[in-house]
Amino acid sequence: MHKGFNRTQGEPKGWFKVQQWLVDKLNDTEGALIPMGSENMQKWPKAEKDYQLFLENASRLMIRFRKPEHLIKMIVRIIDDQLGITHTAILLYKEQKNAFVLIDSKGEGGAKIPIGFIRMTFENPLINIFNERKNYIISENGVLAYEHIASLLKNKESLAKHEELASLIELVLRQMDLLKANLCIPLYSKKDLIGVLILGDKVSKEKFTRQEIGFFMTLANDAAMAISNAQLIQNLQGRVDEIKDLYIREHRIFIHTAIALATAIDARDPYTHGHTERVMEYCFAAADELEGIPEVLAYKNFKETLHISTLLHDVGKIGIPDTILNKNGKLMKKEFEKIKEHPVIGAAILAPIKELGDVAREIKYHQERYDGKGYPEGLKGGEIPLIARIIAVCDAFDAIVTDRPYRQRRTPETAIQIIRQQSGTQFDPLTVSAFLLAYEKGKILSNNKKH
Amino acid sequence: MTKILVVDDEIDVCDFVKHFFEERNFRTFTALSGEEALRILKKEKPDIILLDIRMQEMDGIETLKRIRKIDKDVKVIMVTAVDDQDKMKICRTLGASKYVTKPLVLEELEKVVSSHVKKDENA
Repeated sequence: MHKGFNRTQGEPKGWFKVQQWLVDKLNDTEGALIPMGSENMQKWPKAEKDYQLFLENASRLMIRFRKPEHLIKMIVRIIDDQLGITHTAILLYKEQKNAFVLIDSKGEGGAKIPIGFIRMTFENPLINIFNERKNYIISENGVLAYEHIASLLKNKESLAKHEELASLIELVLRQMDLLKANLCIPLYSKKDLIGVLILGDKVSKEKFTRQEIGFFMTLANDAAMAISNAQLIQNLQGRVDEIKDLYIREHRIFIHTAIALATAIDARDPYTHGHTERVMEYCFAAADELEGIPEVLAYKNFKETLHISTLLHDVGKIGIPDTILNKNGKLMKKEFEKIKEHPVIGAAILAPIKELGDVAREIKYHQERYDGKGYPEGLKGGEIPLIARIIAVCDAFDAIVTDRPYRQRRTPETAIQIIRQQSGTQFDPLTVSAFLLAYEKGKILSNNKKH
Repeated sequence: MTKILVVDDEIDVCDFVKHFFEERNFRTFTALSGEEALRILKKEKPDIILLDIRMQEMDGIETLKRIRKIDKDVKVIMVTAVDDQDKMKICRTLGASKYVTKPLVLEELEKVVSSHVKKDENA
């Protein structure tokens, strides 16, 4: 940037106000404003160089705002603060209202237009003239300047031939009267009219010079670009939020489908009623003790994989005949072989769901033993995925403390003793220690009391 | 000259609307609260009241009820936010003749107000 423009000149009082306001905005969490350094800005610029400086500072400020509304307030405020104009306002197009709405207005009492009070549709002559770009007759540079338009009306001879134009000029003047506007400058983004910058008179009562009008047009251009960028960001943010909501909703449906399926499995087997839910609770309690270990961190989404795997670990029992599943008394060898198929059936049921690849693996191996004597594949130690190892312990604990067709339930103390004994043989010692920790903290017992 | 009373608890709105109607040759009074509106109603007997529905303390509906106790005939136009349109049913039963929605199109406001003036003149 031009170093020379950064010199401090005149009294920076006005600028301090803007800065203070920016600091306040920073504390406002909704502001979404990037912090800024301290830059200086002069009072109402007099030389061309000063306009340049004002514009540079203004556009540097503009890009810091992410909310169109805040950006507009900042623009109105710096114009009001720095340039000595009776009032400043910006109209912005609002899609929901299909109209232009006054976003901010500042100025002397009486000159100010109340915010949120008026709206202008495309039928409004002022909007219409900018939107259809009919302004070449009324203003060659694209800006509506009150004095210029009023002077057109004096040319009665030529206006008599163009009645339509004459009435349009009068309508536009009336609108400018209403808004107490001396200058109206359109804000275009690409080809669309997105807003209008409205300026009152100079406090000094002087006329706006050609150079000053040019300055405001440049400012309006920068503002339009910044506003449409901010709107774009806001729209994108809206889309992201929508997609997030959609994801959350679909995810909820998915989890509930898994729960429904798990309930269906449980319902078939009166002995294991509530089994799935309890195993899930034990697994979560044990997993809490393992939080942060590398094996947990290696999962893409440990909690979710754990949740769904525990919910569906017995889903394969759907493929086991009722006669075997609900048999009173000891199972024959052949029957037991059939039961042993349930982890593989479960994994096969989930196989078509690509997103559940991890879950299918955990389900497939939840009956493996640490010493390699389990099924279906006889995996050993660390070959067995972690969640499957956790399920193995919790599944066993619940089986021991609940009634089975072939034996009575045993106490939790006995169950704990058995699990401790089997650590390193049937069960993974790491998982057992996590489970025991959870048990000692009362997390398992409290769950256990429920049934 | 038609007398209009503007009731709104925002001073900017009062100033702006006052200016707007004065330019259109109305005799304009403003009130920043329902209480003030009732006082002016008794004293000045306006032809038309422009009444904001959302106000601190006494809201537009309560003010309308009290207006009716004083004057059964004065024309009342409610100024409502888009979300308040359901409240217009109550206002109608209380004899509000029309409503305009904020943010409003000034031409509409002018049309609504002047149509009431004409009705008045015909009557």
